[in-house]
Amino acid sequence: MAAEATPRINARYLESFTNSTVRILGRVTSLRGESATIDANGSVQLHLNRDAHLTLNNAVEIIGKVQPDLTVKVFQAMDFGSTIDFNAVEAVVDATHRYKEIFYTAD
Amino acid sequence: MDYGGGYSTTSYGAQGGAGGGGFMSGSQGGSQPNKGNISQSKDTLRPCTIKQVLDATQPHPDAEFKIDDIEVQQITFVGQIRNISTQATNITYKLDDGTGTVEVKQWIDSEASAMDLGAGGGGGGGKNNSSGLVEDEWARVWGRLKAFNNRRHVGAHVIRPVADKMEITHHLLEATYVHLYCTRGPLEPSGGKGANGGGQMNGQYGGDGDEMGMGGARGMPSVSPNARRVLQCLKETPQNNEGLNVQHVAASLRMPLTEVMKAGDELLTQSLIFTTVDDSTWAVLDL
Repeated sequence: MAAEATPRINARYLESFTNSTVRILGRVTSLRGESATIDANGSVQLHLNRDAHLTLNNAVEIIGKVQPDLTVKVFQAMDFGSTIDFNAVEAVVDATHRYKEIFYTAD
Repeated sequence: MDYGGGYSTTSYGAQGGAGGGGFMSGSQGGSQPNKGNISQSKDTLRPCTIKQVLDATQPHPDAEFKIDDIEVQQITFVGQIRNISTQATNITYKLDDGTGTVEVKQWIDSEASAMDLGAGGGGGGGKNNSSGLVEDEWARVWGRLKAFNNRRHVGAHVIRPVADKMEITHHLLEATYVHLYCTRGPLEPSGGKGANGGGQMNGQYGGDGDEMGMGGARGMPSVSPNARRVLQCLKETPQNNEGLNVQHVAASLRMPLTEVMKAGDELLTQSLIFTTVDDSTWAVLDL
């Protein structure tokens, strides 16, 4: 079961989650065909799949795998609109790692 | 209601003389708050993550599930719908909130579903608003944790789509708050031990500081969460100068008697409370 968990992270945690599947909620800052950049407490480079539909400046939650070069290969992306409070999102990422017992099992 | 009379301080005052009698009444009374414990927790609704649902312990089959060692029955959580399978008697949703995956079953009420069809896709505030429940969308569930053939699922009372994505963020923070409340006790009013994690949150609770000022001024010695709850109860419950009996504290906090005794010992040794008419009646030592 634990293998199915996708911990919520942001740009700061990329390094500690290489080769893991994670969730990142960020704001889309640039879109270039098959790649995009989002801001999640720092910028994160994404490699998109075909059915990902991102909207510039909107929030997006992606599930993807962190590559060794700290880019993220996206499996699934979902538009979260333009009314997301990123302070609260930040608090969730912080809680996820501070109180990980209720969020994920560390390897 | 019947129990109330037994706990009144006067009757305990009278019994206090006989040492043996005190023990008897204690052991008898002990089972009653326990009953209260179960029926009370039936009425609680615990926000949790799916990992907590999967990690919930069951002391033996048919027993209530426990999260953070506290019995839970009603739970609520959010999750992204990974799979929907419609059977003759129920709809099974597979939900994933990033912490794990669990199956949620909603039994089909034939009358209600007929009405649903009649209403079409409009779903104007209908109870069974299944229109927005599609794969990959987020849903909020209220239900009960069940085990069947060693497989866990949640029997849903209500499942509805999450319209505002901030609800997900809110829920995860709420689940964290409740988890911390259950494992570490309420937020402390000022500084001290609160630093271990709750640090940033302390600011908001500054207002409470005055009320607790007397205790806080003496540095609020480090006591266990249980002891803190007992002290809080003794401070806040209306009482005469005899203070409160252990039984009363146990009943109002819905804590096992032994835990209350342990907490009391802790508070007694720290001189935060003192005994009044007998060893098991305590009052707050207000300086």
